[in-house]
Amino acid sequence: MKITLLTVKYTAMVLIALICLFPVIWMILGSLRPYQELFKYASGLNIHMLIPVDFTFSNYGKVIFNETNPFFRYIGNTLFVAATVTVAVLIINAMAAFAFAKLRFRGKNLVFILFMSAMVIPGEVTLVPNYLTMHYLNWLNSYEALIIPSMLSVFGIFLLRQFFADIPNEIMEAARIDGASIPRAFMSIVLPAAVPALVTLGLMTFLGNWDSYLWPLIVINDNAKQMIQVAIASFSSTEGTDWSKILAASTISTLPILILFLFLQRYYIQGIAMSGIKG
Amino acid sequence: MESAIKGKKGSDRFYRHEQRTALWFILPAFLLLLVFVFYPMIQAFIISFQNYSLISSNKSFVGLDNYVQLFRDKEFLSSLAHSFYFAVIVIPVQTCISLGLALLIQKRRPGTGLFRTFYFIPVVISTSVAAIVFKLIYNKDFGALNNFLKLLHLPTTSFLSNPDTAMNGVIILGIWKAVGFFMIIYLAGLNNISQDLYEAARVDGASKIQQFFRITLPLLNRTTAFVVIITTIDAIKLSGLIFVLTNGGPNGSTETVVFYIYKLAFQQSQMGYATSAAFVLFAIVLIISLVQMKFFNRED
Repeated sequence: MKITLLTVKYTAMVLIALICLFPVIWMILGSLRPYQELFKYASGLNIHMLIPVDFTFSNYGKVIFNETNPFFRYIGNTLFVAATVTVAVLIINAMAAFAFAKLRFRGKNLVFILFMSAMVIPGEVTLVPNYLTMHYLNWLNSYEALIIPSMLSVFGIFLLRQFFADIPNEIMEAARIDGASIPRAFMSIVLPAAVPALVTLGLMTFLGNWDSYLWPLIVINDNAKQMIQVAIASFSSTEGTDWSKILAASTISTLPILILFLFLQRYYIQGIAMSGIKG
Repeated sequence: MESAIKGKKGSDRFYRHEQRTALWFILPAFLLLLVFVFYPMIQAFIISFQNYSLISSNKSFVGLDNYVQLFRDKEFLSSLAHSFYFAVIVIPVQTCISLGLALLIQKRRPGTGLFRTFYFIPVVISTSVAAIVFKLIYNKDFGALNNFLKLLHLPTTSFLSNPDTAMNGVIILGIWKAVGFFMIIYLAGLNNISQDLYEAARVDGASKIQQFFRITLPLLNRTTAFVVIITTIDAIKLSGLIFVLTNGGPNGSTETVVFYIYKLAFQQSQMGYATSAAFVLFAIVLIISLVQMKFFNRED
């Protein structure tokens, strides 16, 4: 009885895993075959529905060396923007979170409530005015528009404050007695102790920026400065039926974050779990 | 005595240093908050009472006209209906599946860690890529979905080309992509429940099903509240998948509120009108979240 139940459970687990993974595997394997083949084996139960008959990397060549759609350029743009935003988010929001968690100052609660109230404001409401601000600052079609408005993470302040609060107050006391400045205590004691939380927030920010679609679609017109998500979406609508090429482009844009995630998943999952409990 | 005074002076000086440091530490984040959240929020409120077009760059105050017009605008109302349809299906289905998955892999057995990673992978796949791949899988003639349906001798479907079913295609993709995220939150919630409670229930002869309804579910109330509220907000704000998967079609049947706002603002350049629609969206999201919070608190 117990064993049958376990078998049922494992069968369910495997089936669900197949549903989760099939589109991803199909994408990767499909990118490695000539496109006629994708349609040829598209019906009936057939191992070649998934496994290529004719392995080829030519789709990748066509995508990478595409003159009108320089995919490496898009990936480079996205890497640059996402990395810059991530570093800025970590510095700016760790500083604010530290002040809220460990420093005494007048009006602290009020300012904190102001920050937290921003969590209820959906970005969609401020979309038009933020676009107008970009227009006014002459930042349309520039990396500033992609980077600077993304440098605030209210959620990040919330997450890091929880984490900093667990660092014993004696640290600040010790800094006071030593006559050490607070910025130095922050740099040399608090930040090193918070590395796991910083990795969590960093990873979430990076992936979030890698995935951003609507904002770059609005503020970037210049093809050479475009982000990967917008580029890939428009590529897929212009390429029409050349599925293999579309799948190759999708795979190129997915593999970097998939690998990053697999290496750092512990932190990412921890961060999500933490936000759920404390929220 | 002298050293005590000196100490007091020292701590005063330190407190001043603390205050000053705190201000400098908060300043960058605070400036960003003002410039990119509060200022645009106020500006949005003002623009929503204006006839504001970026092309002609003239603006005129029109009072409540935008809001009045919204409630007569069939396209806006149906975009609301589409967003709500998506939300009403996704909230219960996705929440149940994510809880089910969490229960399935909660107990540490060989391989559960690996399955957790597998279930989470769709979350990491970016929105555009997921939408592109699903579009191909849904394809009427060559898509994998219809092939599977044929193998099982089920009727085939062309989800995305039929206005009546296109939204269901979006829903399946939405759930596929988000379920792993909420599974992780449920896993954290489940791990917070003390095993002693189950032990005691077993001693009292409670069945597994009784344990689930009497212990697990009530103690997960806070987690469920979080999951449901976040799912609702995300569902009503749905847009990313729509852009790539259906582009609002066929026949506008998958046009959601945010998609419509985008269209108004950036394709038709009706900034004022679009912003008033965004404000209505904000009000709806806020009201629903408040009602949900109240509901879950009452049950606590």
